[in-house]
Amino acid sequence: MIRLIAQREFTEFVRDGRLLWAGGIMLLLIVTALGVGWQRQSHLHAERHAAQHLDYEDWLKQDERHPHDAAHQGMHVFKPEPPLSIIDPGIGPYVGSTIWLQAHRQSEVKFRPAQDATGLQRFGTFSAAWLVQILAPLLIIVFGFNAFAGERELGTLRQLMSLGVSSRALLWGKALALAMGIGVLLVPGVVVAAAAVVIESEPGRLLDSALRFLMLGLAYAVYLAITVFVVLAVSARASSSRVALISLLALWIVGVLLAPRVMSDLSRHVYPSPSRTEFASDLSTDLKSEHDKAWREQFGVSTGWGPDLPLSKWGVALQVNDHVGYGVLDRHFGALWDTFEKQQRMQEWAGLLIPVLAVRSLSMGLSGTDFVQHRDFSVAAERQRRVVQDIMSHDLIDHADPLGDRHFAYQADKELWAKVPPFDYQTPSLAVVLRHHWSGFAILSAVLAAAVALALLFVPRRLPL
Amino acid sequence: MLEALNVSKDFGANRALDKVTLRVKPGEIYCLLGANGAGKTTLINLFLDFIEPTSGEVRINGRKVADDPLSTKRDIAYIPEQVMLYGVLSGIENLKYFAALATGERHSREQLLALLTEAGLPEAAADGRVSTYSKGMRQKVGIAIALAKNAKALLLDEPTSGLDPKAASEFSQLLAKARDRGVAVLTTTHDLFHAKQTGTRIGIMKQGRLVADLSSQDLSHTDLETLYLQHMAA
Repeated sequence: MIRLIAQREFTEFVRDGRLLWAGGIMLLLIVTALGVGWQRQSHLHAERHAAQHLDYEDWLKQDERHPHDAAHQGMHVFKPEPPLSIIDPGIGPYVGSTIWLQAHRQSEVKFRPAQDATGLQRFGTFSAAWLVQILAPLLIIVFGFNAFAGERELGTLRQLMSLGVSSRALLWGKALALAMGIGVLLVPGVVVAAAAVVIESEPGRLLDSALRFLMLGLAYAVYLAITVFVVLAVSARASSSRVALISLLALWIVGVLLAPRVMSDLSRHVYPSPSRTEFASDLSTDLKSEHDKAWREQFGVSTGWGPDLPLSKWGVALQVNDHVGYGVLDRHFGALWDTFEKQQRMQEWAGLLIPVLAVRSLSMGLSGTDFVQHRDFSVAAERQRRVVQDIMSHDLIDHADPLGDRHFAYQADKELWAKVPPFDYQTPSLAVVLRHHWSGFAILSAVLAAAVALALLFVPRRLPL
Repeated sequence: MLEALNVSKDFGANRALDKVTLRVKPGEIYCLLGANGAGKTTLINLFLDFIEPTSGEVRINGRKVADDPLSTKRDIAYIPEQVMLYGVLSGIENLKYFAALATGERHSREQLLALLTEAGLPEAAADGRVSTYSKGMRQKVGIAIALAKNAKALLLDEPTSGLDPKAASEFSQLLAKARDRGVAVLTTTHDLFHAKQTGTRIGIMKQGRLVADLSSQDLSHTDLETLYLQHMAA
């Protein structure tokens, strides 16, 4: 019975042109978004591969020079582009994929615009994920707003009920029809995306990518199912299909476009994060204070890098300076990043009321393009920077400090540059991602259960006719 | 058998049915007459479980409708004043869909065409979209659905309203056939002539009450008209 109802509904989608026009446009957009994403990903992948290799080669080929000069030149590290970024580029377009590892400074990352992005703000980030998060619910509304209200107006609901069709069978049949409608449109996109993910995955990480892909599909299926049941509930409750359509469009505007923006502002209000200037100023103040303290305690001087410190101690001083700074940097960046994660966490839990927030967070997480995974890369990059720093400082202590006043006459050669290992970064495994994002699945499952309960409530055994 | 036992139905302060008792036995055509708002459609809706009685009970073949509405509906077929169908489907597709839902069986195209023909719809019209059908043609698809269901009881809510005389006559013949097969038929109508011609029993409703329950054999057209007008004037 459910299958019959679903088939009839689906036939109507086809014959009245809704599937052809609304769906055709959606299908075209998704395939285009995936194509654009794939091209972008391939381009970045090729660029990263070439640039990372060339940059390290440049490091190794440096002429003889003072090691601290080399540390100031530094090197660049490039974030691997996850295969699923084809579907959801996440914060990638906002933070970039390169970090400059230079002496004394941990590179700042700019990620807030994307992390706080709402549907409207992210209008520019044309991606398959964006289309499914924002436009697919609209499509379900177009398909389903008259599911019950329209049949009530037409009189066919009365006809159906007289035959002994249960209202619940009608609900499940209509839900299946909406799922079929949206499924037909998404299947070509899923096939293209799957092919792209397989092609772009490193052979050793194919299973990881495949599992991420399946879970991403599951997350979006739950998200769209929530929309389906909300649409059916409203259609069953509404006095007319016009009222149903207006109510659903209002829900879409508020729930998908406006509320995420409000939640973003609210999360910043609850967990305030410093401006870039404030952050830099606080960091500098703390660094100066810790450095001054260390210089006083270690070398008995009040100012760093002054004439009071003999050049025979500049290598040691550099090492002390760096090591004192590491703690300060960890504290400041850690606090900042924790704040951003709290803001994100708050927005994710707001997904209980605004499911698009939960699925957005989960989508970026599974695609490997969220802040947690960017932070992991940033931490790995900073670790590499410290490795470079320490190797250079050690070499200065061993070879430049003994030269006394001729400290700066020392020049290291290629043997030293080769001591710095290439940057070898592995993106976090799926297990790590799931530890951070289990709540996303829990939230979406809870909202789906609530949406089904709402639909069952609004589709009682004896439907209003 | 269709039974309404001391049934009342209130809509807020308005009593739509007041302690109505009637029985329609197999092989009977019971025509309910009455002015608009007399409670005829309310009674039909109770048998269909579209609404529940305020008091009393409604039974189909001895089973209380409220206890198992889905099961009792399997025994009845319903044809409203305006049979509403899906405009984007053809007549035969509508019949196929509704018949499958009603019976749980898939009917072949030949079976469906036979049902439509029996209901009076020309075979050539079967594949046309219902959005192009006249009211009479839709009504015939509705009859075909009822025929497909092979129900033990028929509930008809002013089924000939708006039909041309020929279609109404054909419909009366179909009802007679159903009666002969032992189907219990409860039909509402404003048409005294139709009631006298097709009904085996005739009830007159006024303000929610069944004020007369008559055998059509004992009445002439004139008698029925006189009685009806007397009750309406009282």
